[in-house]
Amino acid sequence: MTATAPAATGVRTDARSLPALLLQHAQQRPGAVALREKHLGRWREWTWEQYAARAARAGLGLLELGVLPGERVAVHSENRPEWLLADLGIQGIGAVTVGIYPTSPAAEVEYLLAHSEAVVLIAEDEEQLDKALAVRHQLKKLEKIVVIDPRGVRALNDDPMLMTYDDLEKLGEEREQAEWAERVAALDPSEPALIVYTSGTTGPPKGAMISHANLLAAAEAFDQAFGGSASDEVLSYLPLCHIAERLTSAIDALASGYVVNFGEGGESFVSDLQEIQPTLFLGVPRVWEKMLAGIQIRMADASRLKRLNYGFWLRQGERLARKRMKGGLNPVDRLVYALGWLMLFRTVRQKLGLARIRVALSGAAPVAPQVLEFFWALGVPVREGYGQTEGTALATFTPADDVRIGKVGKALPGVELRIDDDGEILVRSGGVFLGYLKNPEATKETVDAEGWLHTGDVGELDGDGFLTITDRKKDIIITSGGKNISPSEIENKLKVSPFVREAVVVGEKRKYLTALIGIEADTVGNWATRKGIGFTTYRDLSEKPEVRQLVQEWVDEVNKELAQVETIKQFALLPKELDHEEGELTATQKVKRAAIAEEFADLIEAMYR
Amino acid sequence: MAEPLLVVDSVTLRFGGVTALDDVSFDVRAGELFAVIGPNGAGKTSIFNCLNGVYRPQNGSIRLDGTELIGRAPTQVAGMGVARTFQNLGLFTNLTVVDNLMLGRHVLMGTGFLAGALWFGKARREEVEHRRRCEEIVELLELEAYRKHPVGALPYGIQKRIELGRALAMDPRLLLLDEPVAGMNLEETEDMARYILETREQLDLSMILVEHDMHMVMDIADRVSVLDFGRVIATGPPDEVQADPKVIEAYLGQAS
Repeated sequence: MTATAPAATGVRTDARSLPALLLQHAQQRPGAVALREKHLGRWREWTWEQYAARAARAGLGLLELGVLPGERVAVHSENRPEWLLADLGIQGIGAVTVGIYPTSPAAEVEYLLAHSEAVVLIAEDEEQLDKALAVRHQLKKLEKIVVIDPRGVRALNDDPMLMTYDDLEKLGEEREQAEWAERVAALDPSEPALIVYTSGTTGPPKGAMISHANLLAAAEAFDQAFGGSASDEVLSYLPLCHIAERLTSAIDALASGYVVNFGEGGESFVSDLQEIQPTLFLGVPRVWEKMLAGIQIRMADASRLKRLNYGFWLRQGERLARKRMKGGLNPVDRLVYALGWLMLFRTVRQKLGLARIRVALSGAAPVAPQVLEFFWALGVPVREGYGQTEGTALATFTPADDVRIGKVGKALPGVELRIDDDGEILVRSGGVFLGYLKNPEATKETVDAEGWLHTGDVGELDGDGFLTITDRKKDIIITSGGKNISPSEIENKLKVSPFVREAVVVGEKRKYLTALIGIEADTVGNWATRKGIGFTTYRDLSEKPEVRQLVQEWVDEVNKELAQVETIKQFALLPKELDHEEGELTATQKVKRAAIAEEFADLIEAMYR
Repeated sequence: MAEPLLVVDSVTLRFGGVTALDDVSFDVRAGELFAVIGPNGAGKTSIFNCLNGVYRPQNGSIRLDGTELIGRAPTQVAGMGVARTFQNLGLFTNLTVVDNLMLGRHVLMGTGFLAGALWFGKARREEVEHRRRCEEIVELLELEAYRKHPVGALPYGIQKRIELGRALAMDPRLLLLDEPVAGMNLEETEDMARYILETREQLDLSMILVEHDMHMVMDIADRVSVLDFGRVIATGPPDEVQADPKVIEAYLGQAS
């Protein structure tokens, strides 16, 4: 079956790379705000003109250091303006940006720097610098480390390999800014612009090479799909080395010319959102789940009257949501929503930072239907999308007026979809990448001769062109009884509970299914406190018989919705929170099944005894 | 080598017939993290109280950068750049985090009552500068998420961190830390140790740490003095002190 969307109607500009788009904005609206950052408690701004000038300085500074076109420059930092400035500066001189996750441990940093043969590393601060210094003797190609925030870096003066980001910009000032623009104009769109390491749940990360043309194809498609404009605002908060955040903070931002905000991050994420109230927001399921859990906890603690009000308006919201998903509301519905806005929706949406949301996107992993329905009831239209690094995030997106929960939408403009004979989803578009760095075998397995990207996901396409994802091809569990089971479907059902953070279904070649469940420390802790159950650590909390009982009740609940072979016969609570640095999660917080199966082998075996 | 920042020389403190500190001597160098450990009642907190002018020892001398501290009132000592944190927290629980930090800077505020009340001229410039400094501390101790929260409603581990921030707000040269990790679990203790090290790294100040948690002390201190019944029985780098038979007998010996 094939579904083909109409090809993109063409860019509004003749730009052929992201830096070229940046220069256009700087020329057309030099004084408009492009970037905002919260610094020492206050928001400071950069205009498009300053954005372009600083990106140029970074690029020219790197040229001055001797970086050649095609060479790799790594960025290892939390989200901050310098990330984007450096990224565009690098791309503008024809060099290639390699992003490293801030949570990556030293061993992973070493692997990525060595594999990409990066010549310069831009490290955020002392913490990230230490990781690089610990492994630099292994890195023959690395010539320079640029530190963005030099506080506490003692070695700065006596280590010739180190310099500050400020000094890099000063170095760039020695050349004419026009030189950068000339280099941008001369870029070959088919050359690589970025290398995005896919955090692979198995094996070492692979470096996907994305070209300037790929980025522009994505820019066009998402500009159309989101209908972005200069008045939109986003909060940059997911790791920028991931293609999803790159999409909202760089690719689409440069296509539509909207403002990218950098908050204080971490614990302040909630207040960042409240202050910015973005109009465009991309969340991974974990973010939506956490928001939902936060509201549920608050309501559990609220007075009876408030709970009644909440329950009533949420039911109204759900009724309206069903209509909204099918096209729109009539005037009476609108009036009901307006009343609900006064009574409930406004307050809740402002607390969540979603009061102004125009386009909300959920991606990177499947999200539970109950979670989506909650946000729709509030009037936040969370639309699921699907895409992969190797396709520059280009595949499907849910149309605003035809939302089918459980499906990930239709092909984006310029994207072709096909289901292979074995059920695998194939994608073809201008976003299909150049290949994996130094790994032609893997490239050949991923992109076939006709340019189809083999996604590794199994799914179905319906008559209207809507795509359903079943699971990762290699994750499908075959029980000893020969049944094919999609674990992520069951796991997502389990994760709907605010008390469940992580669920890993086990059962390959076993008689029945079991699950490892990680409790959500905040919500279960809150629950235990209200019940008067004392606890100290996460482990202690997870070992409380009352907590086990709480989870048991939820598992029983979920089992009722599952077919007999899919039910969870036993479960074990994880004694610790899973962590990227300890190799249990990928940088995008996906569970590494193999690592988990090994680390908690005892727990798993005990469930089959 | 230059004269140490702080010299405590033969200090003796008596309460009636009880000798709390008996001929105690040690010194703290600029930029050093110095720890004082000892069993309960060994006189650890008494040292702090002598240092910042709460108690007046009968004998001895305490010099900060050559200036005698004994005989000065606590406010004078604070004005000279000695700040301390309290074991049981010296925070205003109904004020926000930022207000508590601003109060910590009170000793540094130079404008008069009238100018302050009218929010005028120098008072205004000064307040903006103080607020900026508070924000730097908020950033250093990663308190961004709690800025506007009343301190009393925050978890204990966070309150301890704000207590450290309140002391730092005084821009001290010498910081006295009185059991900064008392009552904390392992994770909170590790966090606190990280903040203490980070603070020293970035602000380049000297610290005296009084603590029960032996692991933390041995991990982060440059030098350690061990007190037992008001006397110093050993002073030196952590590994040396740990190996000292007198220390093992007096302190560690009790546990085993």
